Amino acid sequence: MENEVLSYDALVIGGGIAGEETALNLAKMDYKVLLVEKELSIGGKMILLSKVFPTLDCAACITTPKVSETARHPNITIFTGSEVKGVEKKGERNFEARILRQPRYVKEDACTGCQECEPVCPVVVKDQYQFNLVGRKAVFVPFSIANPRIAAIDIENCSLCGACERACPADAIDFSQEPEEKTYQFKSVVVATGYKLFDPIKMPRYGYGKYKNIITSMQMERELAPTRPFNTILRPGDGKMPDNLAYVLCTGSRDHTVGNPICSQVCCMYSIKQAQLLMGALPMADVTIYYLHIRSFGKGFNEFYETAKGMGVEFVKGKIGKISEKENGNLVLRYDDIETGQVKEVEHDMVVLSVGILANDEIGQVFKTQKLEFDDYRYVKQIDELKRPAMTNIEGVFVAGAASGPMDIPDSILSAGSASSEAASYLALTE
Amino acid sequence: MAGEKQRTVKVIKEKRTVSEEVKANIKHYNKMKKLIKDALKEGPKTIPEIAKATELPAHEATYYVMSMRKYGDVVTGEIDDMDEYFYYHLNQKN
Repeated sequence: MENEVLSYDALVIGGGIAGEETALNLAKMDYKVLLVEKELSIGGKMILLSKVFPTLDCAACITTPKVSETARHPNITIFTGSEVKGVEKKGERNFEARILRQPRYVKEDACTGCQECEPVCPVVVKDQYQFNLVGRKAVFVPFSIANPRIAAIDIENCSLCGACERACPADAIDFSQEPEEKTYQFKSVVVATGYKLFDPIKMPRYGYGKYKNIITSMQMERELAPTRPFNTILRPGDGKMPDNLAYVLCTGSRDHTVGNPICSQVCCMYSIKQAQLLMGALPMADVTIYYLHIRSFGKGFNEFYETAKGMGVEFVKGKIGKISEKENGNLVLRYDDIETGQVKEVEHDMVVLSVGILANDEIGQVFKTQKLEFDDYRYVKQIDELKRPAMTNIEGVFVAGAASGPMDIPDSILSAGSASSEAASYLALTE
Repeated sequence: MAGEKQRTVKVIKEKRTVSEEVKANIKHYNKMKKLIKDALKEGPKTIPEIAKATELPAHEATYYVMSMRKYGDVVTGEIDDMDEYFYYHLNQKN
């Protein structure tokens, strides 16, 4: 590529809300930033949410302006579908990073996102952006508010029929693209790699994957979102509109048996949020939340919890032991009622597992010359958590958002503010 | 042929082959689509009715009906008298 920039002030790894905020803050201070995102769109998990707690503001309405601002800022270069393969510190304020850019097989400057390619594609596979609730084509725009809103070809599942290329009115399909790995120079690095969701398949007693009317909270989030996979809230097991739903809190968090003893900080509140949204979407439905403790510690959180109770959401302090399925697809929850000390069984027609969050520790493999330190729970270690929370053990490498621990959206943005300030101070020393 | 555009798919076909899994998946989806379309030719049906008519497990019927709905082959109709299941019918525009 002619005039390609191979040197930037900062490398931001991860294009979620924390990465975007960091990149924007640095860019506004006139630093040149390269933002690398492994997914096909920036926006992270937030762009896939329905609404946010405790205000019930539309998540897309908050995140898409920031996504657009990031994408349009002249000081920010974005690589989507890309991975940082290695970062080496070569001296003070000198990092070298190898970045692998996977081909989209679509010319980014030509594609208009019209989706004319999709109907002609004969392949349908599970749509990862709808958490497998519905199918997508092998050539696809990831989701309607994706940025960049450009098609991509899932080459592993492509039939190589060429129908998309014939159908594309912009001649944007380009199967001749190849992966490209290059080395870039940076003065600082910000790790904003976020978190992973707990996979409840690791808890067989809950029956996720086996019983089709048990879904995760992220799947319910998609069912509630305006860009949802179904026309309304439905049981994936048989398309029934549910009228008696249960939430199982602390699925894969605060649980030593699955290796995640810490609280995920957001599960109580997102479950209460979803319960309120369900009461609106399905006015006749009963929603029960099974919990150990409700941790509504933030500003306006307890009022939000009280509102849910006032709306009729039932809260049961109980530890779920086992979930089994009835012939009609309904689910029987066997639980220890903590208030009475009795073991009880209750039937619901749909169950949502409020999954915990886990550290995204793969970033550890990226740092080659100096090992990036992690805390006991595999989050990036904050070496001075109270005074300089964005500092890591590697001078010039900072951490933003949930890469350093579970946190909600406002805290991720605050954390990104801290990381960008630290990075800017560090960069200022070179001037 | 004069005037015909050089298709880049030819380039990738020289480097890659389509796996048997991908071929089987296409065949399977087309089979499911045909089964569901045939079931809906008789009139709108709920997912349990489609599952019964096609002998598919209900969760698979849900997935395929919803995928077909996404790509415009099927549209959502009224809900049944018990307010439990929606009826789906073929998109007449196709």
